[in-house]
Amino acid sequence: MKTKESDTKTYLGMPLYRPKVGFFEFSSCEGCQLQIVNNESTLLDFLSLVEVVSFREAMTEKSDDYEIAFIEGSITRDDEVKRLKRIRKNAKILVALGSCACFGGVNQLKNRFKNLNWVKKEVYGRHPVDTEPVRAVEDVVKVDLKIYGCPVKKEEVEKSVLHIALGKSIEIPKYPVCMECKANENICLFDLGELCLGPVTRAGCNSWCPNSRAGCWGCRGPADDANVEYMKKIMKEKGFSEEAILERLECFGGFADFLKRKK
Amino acid sequence: MIFRTFKKDELKKLVEILAAHNRIVGPVEAGRDKHGSPIYAFNEVSDFNSIRLNYTTTKLPAKRYFLPFQEDLSSFRTEGGGWQKIIDYNADKPLIFFGLHPCDINALNKLDKVLMHSVYPMPYYAAKRKNMFIIGVECIPQTFCFCRSMGADTALHGFDMFITDLGNKYFVEILTDTAYNFLKSIRTEEPEEKDHVLYMKAVAERNKKFTTRVDTTDLAKILDMEFQSDVWKHWGEICLSCGTCSNVCPTCYCYGVEETVDLDLKGARKTKTLHSCNLIDFAEVAGGHNFRPERHSRLKYRYYHKHRGFVEAFEESLCVGCGRCGESCLAGINVPEVIASVRGGKIKK
Amino acid sequence: MKPELKFVDVIAQQQRRHKRKNDLACFEHTFRSEVTSVYPLTEMETIYRIQIIDPEERKRFRFIPGQFLMLELPGIGEAPFSISSSPSIHGEVELCIRKAGNLTNYLAKVGRGAIVGIRGPFGTGFPMEEMHGQNILLIAGGLGLAPLRSPIAYAQENRSHFREVNIIYGTKSPANLLFTYQYDMWSRDDINLHIIVEKADPSWKGAVGLSTDILMKILSGRSDDFYHNTYAIVCGPPVMFKFVCKMLNTFHIPMQKMFVSLERRMHCGMGKCCRCNVGSTYTCIKGPVFDYWTVMNLKEAI
Repeated sequence: MKTKESDTKTYLGMPLYRPKVGFFEFSSCEGCQLQIVNNESTLLDFLSLVEVVSFREAMTEKSDDYEIAFIEGSITRDDEVKRLKRIRKNAKILVALGSCACFGGVNQLKNRFKNLNWVKKEVYGRHPVDTEPVRAVEDVVKVDLKIYGCPVKKEEVEKSVLHIALGKSIEIPKYPVCMECKANENICLFDLGELCLGPVTRAGCNSWCPNSRAGCWGCRGPADDANVEYMKKIMKEKGFSEEAILERLECFGGFADFLKRKK
Repeated sequence: MIFRTFKKDELKKLVEILAAHNRIVGPVEAGRDKHGSPIYAFNEVSDFNSIRLNYTTTKLPAKRYFLPFQEDLSSFRTEGGGWQKIIDYNADKPLIFFGLHPCDINALNKLDKVLMHSVYPMPYYAAKRKNMFIIGVECIPQTFCFCRSMGADTALHGFDMFITDLGNKYFVEILTDTAYNFLKSIRTEEPEEKDHVLYMKAVAERNKKFTTRVDTTDLAKILDMEFQSDVWKHWGEICLSCGTCSNVCPTCYCYGVEETVDLDLKGARKTKTLHSCNLIDFAEVAGGHNFRPERHSRLKYRYYHKHRGFVEAFEESLCVGCGRCGESCLAGINVPEVIASVRGGKIKK
Repeated sequence: MKPELKFVDVIAQQQRRHKRKNDLACFEHTFRSEVTSVYPLTEMETIYRIQIIDPEERKRFRFIPGQFLMLELPGIGEAPFSISSSPSIHGEVELCIRKAGNLTNYLAKVGRGAIVGIRGPFGTGFPMEEMHGQNILLIAGGLGLAPLRSPIAYAQENRSHFREVNIIYGTKSPANLLFTYQYDMWSRDDINLHIIVEKADPSWKGAVGLSTDILMKILSGRSDDFYHNTYAIVCGPPVMFKFVCKMLNTFHIPMQKMFVSLERRMHCGMGKCCRCNVGSTYTCIKGPVFDYWTVMNLKEAI
């Protein structure tokens, strides 16, 4: 996995910053990390931009000498808190990778239950598991960059790393998924009578789900200036139940702020 | 102007002959909505039977064939500190557009004015536009159509030939000699007086079907007067800022430019992506200042550009009244209601 | 002032007319250029001298003060900059650049010798020839001195064509002053230079206050002949040019003889992308230089 130190990459005659990076998984399915190694055609170019020192999905060696730490998963246990804090100390740049790290992800659904002990018993039976309410990474340590999505879009990860190497700022779309969905010429899911959070969810996924005629579940969280309140009203007027709407908005945790406001 | 008529079954022959040598784009059924009504789209077709000549407005305009959502303006090969710029206008083959309605033809005419016939004509658009052969077709006005108010219900130019259904035959208006020559491959006839009568009857029948009207009297001036009006805030409150109105609009052409370095560092590209003035970052400048941070100011800007700025520059509005934006807007924001509200009308809640 | 109409010189107007570019191939045309000098002005601003590489293209490159160009580093970015140098130098421009984004940061990293692309020049300029035989007030606030330096250079080089020339330049603090090394030269060419800072530091011996304070002194008690024959060029943030132009108007200087330069983020520079629109007016085509009457009539401008 390591490339030679000698072949320093340059762009327009300027040497690139080649950061040492580590990937770390917390409570998650590790699907985001898999996305990154998923694309053979660009994998080598991607790996030549960085020096990977820790990556369970792709290598066995491990090191604590890294500059960028990619954190996948949400924080659900006390030992995870300690580990995350240690990583934060080592890393110059800490990246929350994917919906779990950014908002708690699907895992945070368990926070809906008042009695966590009951949840624990239902899920793990008598197996002793230490579990706390799910938290997003930024609720525990400072996060420098968020890469949204469940799973993340590997192009976005690649672009982010490239921009760090070039010293370019990282721009994530501020507008909602509708923009990309229309560009992909999809039939609006509301025309098909289906529920979709595309009008309020941050774009960047290239309307992944609507492309296969599946409504958006909001995994990338709200777009900048998303009009969630009015969107709720629209969905209701279109005949969707309060429960169905709530289920969507709650699924990945990205819309938590808009749900609190209502209570 | 040259007119001909031809028997209905000749049309299939014409399309088949043209399809054998050219790419044809036409209206097809892309799916059915929840009520079982067809949803139409412009797509490449090879079979005459897949063309829906009596289609109603497509959800999306034919825009992607002349203003693709995303295209590279240039690419670069880099080596050391140096670089070479490679420019490609992204047009390779001519295209036959079969079945554009007058509103969509007028949309092209309007785009021509700003993208081709003003300062700095845009080669990316011109290269595609000049390679389009357009066969227009008469439409059936829908309840949301207000093209008549915008003066876009008939097309006087911007097509090669235009077909009107006269019942048992088609009436065709021929504007270019390319069209004239293409028509030699099928059997056409000189229209007789009774065909003229039938044509005028068809036009009169169609005219009766327009129900939605927009009062555009003095609109440019009124928009200026009502710049501070509270009605904008109302529409801003319900606007989702999702950009759908621009994407379904046959005349929205605003864009953004982004430069990216290839992952292998051997090249770079400068990419143009259509943007919408309703999106939050449309008027953001270096350093982060946003000239239009509120939803209502962005929505208002869209109306100003369409119904005031373009009028000032080209003596006509940039809206053809196809009604697509209103039909697609989940919040139900539509041009007739917005303009009526600016003119002092009541807002339906 | 007497309410008397002035005769319009159609020939002079024609010279001002924006040169129409109708060539399809010029749309994405880039002049390959080299950064030949990098000179830091303050902590934030640097002046870059950029020369077109091809000698033939260099000869043909012309611009008028107030116009802007698009500067490009492939893959990094492209952004508009107003030209800060004399229009009599062909094929070479100076741009005053503040580190603010990807392009400017990377440019600072590459520095002298960088191969960049320039497109343009674009937009309207200050009608310098129309001002011949007149007094001119060149008023800048903060970074506004960058676009103003081009008309200043014109005034210097064509000093005999103008009557009284005044530069009024205001900044936040003495540390923000740009082009300090040129002040002597301007004064030697019989240009009155007035500098004022909002907040002095211990070493500052000059005036403290706002540029309108100085403007008031210059304008007060002049003859009608002065007000009748004065043009003003105002470059700076909107709040500043708004107050300056208001004051000029109280002395009956017509708004059509005051020129301001608007700053917007152009993506194309050619009246296509709509990103720089003010109200529904293209800043890149109808501006960036507007007379103040036009600015007053633009929605969203101030």
